[in-house]
Amino acid sequence: MTYFIQLLISGLVVGSIYALSALGFVLIYKSSRVLNIAHGQIIASGAFIAYALTVYAGVPLVISFFLSMAITFFLSMAVERVFLRRLIGEPIISVIMVTIGLMSIIDGVIYLTPFGSTNMSFPKFFPPEPLNLLGATVSWTQVVGVILTAIIIAALSWFFKNSTLGISMRAVSDDQLASMSIGISVPKVFGLAWALAGLTAAAAGGIIGNITGLNFDTLHAFGIIVFPVVILGGLDSIGGAVVAGIIMGLIQQFAAGYLDGNWGLQGTAEVLPYIILLILLLFKPHGLFGTHEIERV
Amino acid sequence: MRKMLMVTTIGLMAACFAVTTAQAETYKLAISLAITGPTSDAGAPYAKGVEDYVKYANDEKILGDDEIEVLIRDDQYKTDVTKRNFEEFLDEGIPIYLNYSTGSTLALKKDFEEEKIATIPASFHAGNLVDSNYIFLPIQSYSNQVIALSEYVVNNNKGGVPKVAMFIHPSAFGRGPVEDTKGAVEAGLKMDIIEVVEHGKDLDTTATLQRLMSKGVQYIICHTVQSPVAVLLKDAERLGIIASSFGEEGKITFLGAHYTGGNDLIDLAPTASANFYWTTGYTLTSEPGPGTDLQLMIAKKYGRDDKTANSHNYTNGMMVTQVAIETMRRAKAHGKEINKATLYDELNAMNGDNAYDPLTTTGPVTFSKDDHEGVDKLQIYRVTDGVFKSVGEPFIPKYAVKK
Repeated sequence: MTYFIQLLISGLVVGSIYALSALGFVLIYKSSRVLNIAHGQIIASGAFIAYALTVYAGVPLVISFFLSMAITFFLSMAVERVFLRRLIGEPIISVIMVTIGLMSIIDGVIYLTPFGSTNMSFPKFFPPEPLNLLGATVSWTQVVGVILTAIIIAALSWFFKNSTLGISMRAVSDDQLASMSIGISVPKVFGLAWALAGLTAAAAGGIIGNITGLNFDTLHAFGIIVFPVVILGGLDSIGGAVVAGIIMGLIQQFAAGYLDGNWGLQGTAEVLPYIILLILLLFKPHGLFGTHEIERV
Repeated sequence: MRKMLMVTTIGLMAACFAVTTAQAETYKLAISLAITGPTSDAGAPYAKGVEDYVKYANDEKILGDDEIEVLIRDDQYKTDVTKRNFEEFLDEGIPIYLNYSTGSTLALKKDFEEEKIATIPASFHAGNLVDSNYIFLPIQSYSNQVIALSEYVVNNNKGGVPKVAMFIHPSAFGRGPVEDTKGAVEAGLKMDIIEVVEHGKDLDTTATLQRLMSKGVQYIICHTVQSPVAVLLKDAERLGIIASSFGEEGKITFLGAHYTGGNDLIDLAPTASANFYWTTGYTLTSEPGPGTDLQLMIAKKYGRDDKTANSHNYTNGMMVTQVAIETMRRAKAHGKEINKATLYDELNAMNGDNAYDPLTTTGPVTFSKDDHEGVDKLQIYRVTDGVFKSVGEPFIPKYAVKK
């Protein structure tokens, strides 16, 4: 039973971090229908900024973590302003190509710094002893990751439901032309979506960096790893990202725990999420909670 | 008269200068590797090792008045770029080539054969040597490293046949040693390989570790890069299953081949890497010795930071350059022209009394027509007080396979 509980808790933890990493994709897609291919690079940037503030500037780790979120918030906003604002109204594929270019630019910039080619770890902050939960062990980093994900998702849900800006973003997501006609600034909404995506990416980067250590290849790979989560949840659904993240996390852990190494099976933890994704998409092509657009001709 | 004397002096000086200039040659040494992109954490210090040793050789006039020009190109771990770089290097007239990754070494194997150019890669994949005459591995292959670790497990396990799992990279690089290790077991190495785990980009390896524990696995031999091993060790530390002494009952002892270890692993998993056992054919700067002195002196001379100076990848880059330059020095000493054929011959003659000790390795570099694995002796290191310290003496694995 402890074995099952350990896998369950590990699955929930991994799923929460997947959800947090996937939020950035969703936020940008939700408002602008653009897939930001450079999301993994922003995750890595957030982690490195937190590390630089802590180690080079001597800022306490917790403050560095929140500062990194603030910095990537404004950096992402600037990226949108400089590279993407002028593409409003252009075909979506052009915008996606620009995000691919952006990925190369961020890669290049990071490789110019010591972060591109070195391995590092955040200074020890959390107690080394793990928490014991019904006989299962969880590290403090993992617990903080789950709590932080819950807080960010709750805050975003409130923001989209109750704040004027959030409602404006939803309106732009529904119909850009109609939103403009009632005085909503679509460019500002896009800028805010990118900024919020940057903020969540930095949070994810900080958590992942604490778990895996700081290695650029490992960190930016999470931009791709969480892609099935985004698709499964529905590209424009925050709740969907959470549910899909947790489903993926659980599938991976249970597959690794019960299938891999038995009956000649190997690598099911890697493959099974994709198989389930394909099967689910056959029945729900817009993902679990994605908007099903009906076009009338 | 005075005018004539002056003209004669200037003429003589110019003639001497011309003769000297004509005699001094410049030889090109080239490497294509990942300074950026995947595995650049290894490639970047490796490139610095190559660059610095060439500077050192020129400054110390190892080739007399002749000079070495080093061509270093970043291929971002992309085989197509490596191939393009290699072709450009050939146009530059290189007599010997240093390559990097397993993928590109396998892909360019035929090119090395066609060009008849000796190649020393950073990849120690045993498959590099299959159907190849021109590839020379600097140290024992990954297969033999894993076999060495397996032998260490068998020789030091207390009671019964040890149960071992392999934790490998999902690629040709990672899979290479699996069959060779199974072959060693068939040949008489008494251990049970319970499972071979190919890792992914895991955030949490709890399930894998618990599964292996439930199967009674006592040892996990890793053959991959540092990052996934760091995640594995951190999870094992959280679960409280890392053996504090070798083979501790009810716990797991973790071991790894060349690219799993070094200071990078300690940087990624500072406390969890304690008691990690690692094998390589290189000396480490965490221990005193002539290799350490040489490496640190060169790193200091050319302004490298501490991290680079103490990186085993820097050692690795230095060592392959030492070998390449030594072949040039020997060819020159034997009165031969320095070209692809003579350097190839010098490498194959590097054995017996002609074995080469670069100081940066745990044994002499020996090559012959039938043996293209350089340093035969491997050293086991263990993380103690945050640094790798040697355990026992360097040894040649009994079940080592030669391709």
